[in-house]
Amino acid sequence: MESAIDVADLGVRFRRNRGGRRTVKDLFAGASRRSRPGEFWALRDVTFTVEPGESIGVVGRNGQGKSTLLRLVASVLLPDEGTVRVNGGVAPLIELTGGFVGDLTVRENVRLTAGLHGMSKAEVAARYDEMIAFAELEDFQDTPYKHLSNGMKVRLAFSVVSQLDEPILLVDEVLAVGDKAFRDKCYKRIDELLTEGRTLFFVSHSERDLRRFCRRGLYLDKGRLVMDGPIGEVLDRYNADHNAH
Amino acid sequence: MATTVGAPGTPRRYFHSLWLLSARDLKVRYSTSALGYLWSVLDPLVMSAIYWFVFTQVFSRSVGEQPYIIFLITALLPWVWFNASVGDFTRAFKKDARLVRSTAIPRSIWVNRIVLSKGVEFLYSLPVLAIFVVANILIESDPAKTAHVGWGILLFPLAVLLQTVLLVGLGLLIAPLCALYTDLERTTALILRALFYATPIIYSVNDLPGVFQTLGMLNPLAGIFSLYRMAFFPDQWHPELVAVSSVMTVAILALGTWMFRTLERPVLKEL
Repeated sequence: MESAIDVADLGVRFRRNRGGRRTVKDLFAGASRRSRPGEFWALRDVTFTVEPGESIGVVGRNGQGKSTLLRLVASVLLPDEGTVRVNGGVAPLIELTGGFVGDLTVRENVRLTAGLHGMSKAEVAARYDEMIAFAELEDFQDTPYKHLSNGMKVRLAFSVVSQLDEPILLVDEVLAVGDKAFRDKCYKRIDELLTEGRTLFFVSHSERDLRRFCRRGLYLDKGRLVMDGPIGEVLDRYNADHNAH
Repeated sequence: MATTVGAPGTPRRYFHSLWLLSARDLKVRYSTSALGYLWSVLDPLVMSAIYWFVFTQVFSRSVGEQPYIIFLITALLPWVWFNASVGDFTRAFKKDARLVRSTAIPRSIWVNRIVLSKGVEFLYSLPVLAIFVVANILIESDPAKTAHVGWGILLFPLAVLLQTVLLVGLGLLIAPLCALYTDLERTTALILRALFYATPIIYSVNDLPGVFQTLGMLNPLAGIFSLYRMAFFPDQWHPELVAVSSVMTVAILALGTWMFRTLERPVLKEL
C-alpha cells in the first residue's frame, strides 16, 4: 500500500529578521546547502513516512518548526531542500478562518471556501445544511461574515473544512478556540473521521489531545526530528527534556 | 475522489478555483456598494469627459480622430482594465495572505483571478461604448463626425486576447516582486501614471513625431489599443505595430513565468 505522506531530507530556511537586507543576488541564488548569514534553518534533515490511517502528533516547544512542517505538508510553503510527497488530497485545518470574506454572507462564504477546497457545486449544495447545523448557525445564514462573533467564525470554518472528503486531515491548534461544548463536538467529529480511516496530522500543545487522538509522535527540537515513536514515549521524552531545562 | 472537482493540479480544478475567486471579487464589488455596476464605468466616463472637454473645447485638437469622444472611450475602457489590474497586482498576495497561507491552490491563480475579474468588469463596461456610438450616429448630422462601424470590429477579440496575455505576464512579474519589495508598490503606481500619457490613449501612434513613434511602438499597449480602435477607425491599422506588440507581449509572458517560478518560494515564506 502506498504511504500517505512521504517526507525526505526536508529543510526550509527563513530570514532571521524581517528587516534584514535582501539583495537581488540573494533571490536568484537558489536553494544551496549553505546557510547564508542572517538566515536560519527552521527545519532540517527531517525524514519520515506516514501510512494511510495513521494518526500522528507533532510535539515540540514554540518555534521549533511544528507549524512550518504542517504548512509544508499542506504545500502552502515550498521546501528549500528535500521533498514532501502527499498522496491524495489534504483537508487543512490551519489558519481556519483565512478563506472567509467579511463582506459576504455565511451562505456565500461556505460555497466559496468549500469550492476552493475542491468541492463541486452539487456537493456543496448537498452538504450545506449539515455544515450549517454543525456550526449551529441556522439563524445567521444571510448575515455578513464580519458580523459573526469570533466563536461563530471558528465554528463555521471547522464545520466546512471537516466536511471535506480528503484522506488526510491536518490540524493545527484549532481546538484551542471555541467553548467547551463545541470543542467536544469537534473532538467527536475528528474521532469519526479517524474511524473512517483518515490520516491525521496533528499539532498541539495539549498533551491530553495528543494522547487522545494520536498513536505515533514526532518530536521536533531546533528544527530537527529528534524522536519518532509511539506517542506516549515521545511525550515522556518531551516532558523529561522540558522539565530538565 | 468522486466529490472533488478534478484532482489537484488538473486544469479543471485550476479553472474551478480561478472562477470561484474571480466571482468572489465581483460579488464583493457589486454587493457592498449601492452604485455597484456604475463604479466600473464611472471612472472611464469621467476621464473621457475631462479629455473630451480639454481637447475639443479648450484646445483645438490636432491628435486623434473624429468623433473624438469615441476615439477616447475605445482606448480608455481597456486602459481602466489594465490600470486596475496592475494596481491590484501590487497587493495580489498581501490582500489574501491568510488564504494563500492556508489553501494549496496553484499560486498563479492569485494573479490570474485579478486579470479575469477586472476583465469581466471591462466586458460589463462595453455597453457604455455602444451607447455613445448609437447616440453619435443618431445625433450627429455632419458625416465627417459620425462613427462608422467597420470590419475592424472583428479584431476586437484579438485585442482582448492580447491584453489578457500581456496582463498575465505582467502580473506574474509584478505580484511576487511587490510582495518582496514594498517600495515597488509606489514605483508601480508612478510608472502607471507615466504610462497613461506614454500610451496612445488620448492620441494615436500616428500622431507621434519621428523617433518617438519608433519608441512608442515598443509599448505593447500601443498595438493592442490600435486593434480596439479598428472597429471605428480603419486608419489605425498598423500591421507592424501589432506584430511588435504581440512579440513584446509574449516576451513579457515568458519573463513573468520565469520570474514567478523563481520567486514563488521566497514569497510564500514572506507571507
